Amino acid sequence: MLKILIPTTMLILATWLTPPKWLWPSSLLNSLLIALTSLLWLKNASETGWTFLNPYLATDPLSTPLLILSCWLLPLMILASQNHTSHEPINRQRMYITLLASLQFFLILAFSATEMIMFYVMFEATLIPTLILITRWGNQAERLNAGTYFLFYTLAGSLPLLIALLLLQNSNGSLSLLMLPHLGQLELTSYADKIWWAGCILAFLVKMPLYGVHLWLPKAHVEAPIAGSMVLAAVLLKLGGYGMMRILVTLDPLTKELSYPFIVLALWGVIMTGSICMRQTDLKSLIAYSSVSHMGLVVGGILIQTPWGFTGALILMIAHGLTSSALFCLANTSYERTHSRTMLLARGMQMILPLMAAWWFIASLANLALPPLPNLMGELMIITSLFNWSPWTIGLTGLGTLITAGYSLYMFLMTQRGPAPSHLLALEPSHTREHLLIALHLLPLILIITKPELIWGWTA
Amino acid sequence: MVNFAVLAREHWMHILVPMGFVIGWYLDKQQDKKLTAFRNKSALYSRELKPGEEVTWK
Amino acid sequence: MNPYITASLLFGLLLGTTITTTSTHWLIAWMGLEINTLAIIPLMAQQHHPRAIEATTKYFLTQAAAAATLLLAATTNAWMTGQWELQQATHPVPTTMITIALALKIGLAPLHTWLPEVMQGLDLTTGLILATWQKIAPFSLLLQIQPNNQTLLILLAILSMLVGGWGGLNQTQVRKILAYSSIAHLGWMVIILQFSPTLAVMTLALYIIMTSSTFLAFMMNKTTTIGTLTISWAKTPIISSLMPLILLSLGGLPPLTGFMPKWLILQELTKQDLGMTATLAALSALLSLYFYLRLSYAMTLTISPNNLTGTLPWRTQTNKKTLPTAILLSSSILLLPLTPEVLTLFNT
Repeated sequence: MLKILIPTTMLILATWLTPPKWLWPSSLLNSLLIALTSLLWLKNASETGWTFLNPYLATDPLSTPLLILSCWLLPLMILASQNHTSHEPINRQRMYITLLASLQFFLILAFSATEMIMFYVMFEATLIPTLILITRWGNQAERLNAGTYFLFYTLAGSLPLLIALLLLQNSNGSLSLLMLPHLGQLELTSYADKIWWAGCILAFLVKMPLYGVHLWLPKAHVEAPIAGSMVLAAVLLKLGGYGMMRILVTLDPLTKELSYPFIVLALWGVIMTGSICMRQTDLKSLIAYSSVSHMGLVVGGILIQTPWGFTGALILMIAHGLTSSALFCLANTSYERTHSRTMLLARGMQMILPLMAAWWFIASLANLALPPLPNLMGELMIITSLFNWSPWTIGLTGLGTLITAGYSLYMFLMTQRGPAPSHLLALEPSHTREHLLIALHLLPLILIITKPELIWGWTA
Repeated sequence: MVNFAVLAREHWMHILVPMGFVIGWYLDKQQDKKLTAFRNKSALYSRELKPGEEVTWK
Repeated sequence: MNPYITASLLFGLLLGTTITTTSTHWLIAWMGLEINTLAIIPLMAQQHHPRAIEATTKYFLTQAAAAATLLLAATTNAWMTGQWELQQATHPVPTTMITIALALKIGLAPLHTWLPEVMQGLDLTTGLILATWQKIAPFSLLLQIQPNNQTLLILLAILSMLVGGWGGLNQTQVRKILAYSSIAHLGWMVIILQFSPTLAVMTLALYIIMTSSTFLAFMMNKTTTIGTLTISWAKTPIISSLMPLILLSLGGLPPLTGFMPKWLILQELTKQDLGMTATLAALSALLSLYFYLRLSYAMTLTISPNNLTGTLPWRTQTNKKTLPTAILLSSSILLLPLTPEVLTLFNT
């Protein structure tokens, strides 16, 4: 664990000591080194699943893919932010990189914590850098509102979680993740226990976000700078799914009956947010809502608590992390050129930036889950296990998939195809940096399907 | 001719991250040794050693 | 003010608190409180503008009323039990009266209304003394009497948290916001008073650290409204970039120091089977968090247009002592990983 954590803190130090000329290249290279080193976590030889143990931190097949994803995201965020922060004073650029690195630090601690309170503290700790990213480096005045929404939705959900965890600690004696599955079932019968169940699960459902408590997400995504959107979509939402998978083992007898409304809401949300995407004019908002829709499937897959559901959820989380982050990067390339997120104003980009159009094409296909990408694998596993759980869900999930395909196509056609409007003819050509950025998103996505057991989680 | 003094002054901070990796690797190794020793001694995990296998705590 | 007079007044403050905290006799304890009050009054009124005088008068009246009630309660206690011992206040009537008098003295809701008004009339230094040092003496009494009426204390505490949160929401004056923040924090201290006095003292200490660093930072910028906070980034760039962390620490967000007392208090409350109270307390922290967030928006997270040209600070050097500020600032941000050590410190 410290193999990665100490270099990450060193990266913050190096950011402040590097001469301005080398700031971006060196932090990019260093973070890429850290990301490559983090692949060491994939080696999992232990029988119990837990490896790289120390008293507080460990990895297991569930957390490893998410850990590597959060390490992988840092170089990509640095790569993506280079252009739009370049006009700022050097100290603010350093501050920006520091925030991103500290976010990675907290994320690693959150995903690898072996104790629920530690996980909780780190889960909350990621709020502060993200909040500062959104409200300090966002573009419009509405970013303050978005920051408030982001902070208060998450906290209002997660403060009851803290109480619930403390109650669990009192009755159980331990909150260690290594112990929780083996402690046996709790006596959960009373009405108060049902409230306790809700307290345990609600924070993660808000973070996912579940349809109904998702309003903070589109705002935060739209207002955040590119790095903020990327990390929010790629990793922060997954904290919710990860936490839910961890806590569900202790909630056992209650989840079976109490999860119905949440599953229904999640699947209904897939359709609703998909439909919202269909009539969206704002590119970033569309991608944000598509995140909500995908996360709805993940929530459904987790809540039915079958091995296939968990596996599908994890695969979809990883695949969606890379895909949506890539889509945000693409949206940002067009935003940096047209200075508008409105799709109507940035049409026909294929004629102007043809290679970008190719990236758009692949990313849209990934978003609508085309074979052989892992997105399809995740969605199929979730849909299958949901179908097995109740055949009626096929109506919702099937329609959801159809709508997903619809809005992905809509997004691609709106932004890329058609004649180029005359006000866009003098655009800056695309940079190698941007191509590298998208390639580093999509290559792992394509390659991972050749060895999907890396992101299978527990069933592997 | 490369001026090493200037090179060192301008680029010494680039070794921080690799150095961090080495330190972390070392600390991890120490921790692993500690935990392995514990595992060998604990009643739950102790087992008959195979012929030729060495104990890891000593 | 003449430095000798200031020195003797500060000495009076020190003396009053020391007498109260160390006495075992109600009369002496009361006397300490009075010395304390009398010593701070000239400090409050040292600027002769009407607001300061008004604030001083208000402070004097409320403190005198509280002290009188306290004296009455102590006398009643002596009359009923034949004792002036501080820890022998056993009868419920005087104990309740003492609790209420002390609540008025430190400004617990619903007896809090004087605090924001008084704070608004003071300069930041006196405000700092009022928000931190002046809490210690009454709080030490509250710790010692161990009121046997749980409900009253919990009610006062929850009400303080909620009022402190609600009240600060529509304020634009930094001093008033800090007064409301003080009320909310006192609520946290009082809620745990019954169950773990150690924890209450620890919360008070951490509150003093965090509030002092906030006040010191504002003193450096000479700001008293949210409006003037917005230009602080040009005066003290590093402090203003650390300010959101301190404010969120006051709001109790992990992984900052302010989370430590909240976490431990909630843990203690859940151990006492007060889950619902704990939830209410935790959620009331959100109210306070909103105005801390607003302060940090104004101070750091937005950069307001400035009439200065360039980004260089226009006062590169400050002649103020920065070491205490630096120590307080860093300890009000970074203490959470040291939770076990801090707990041991207070457990002895």
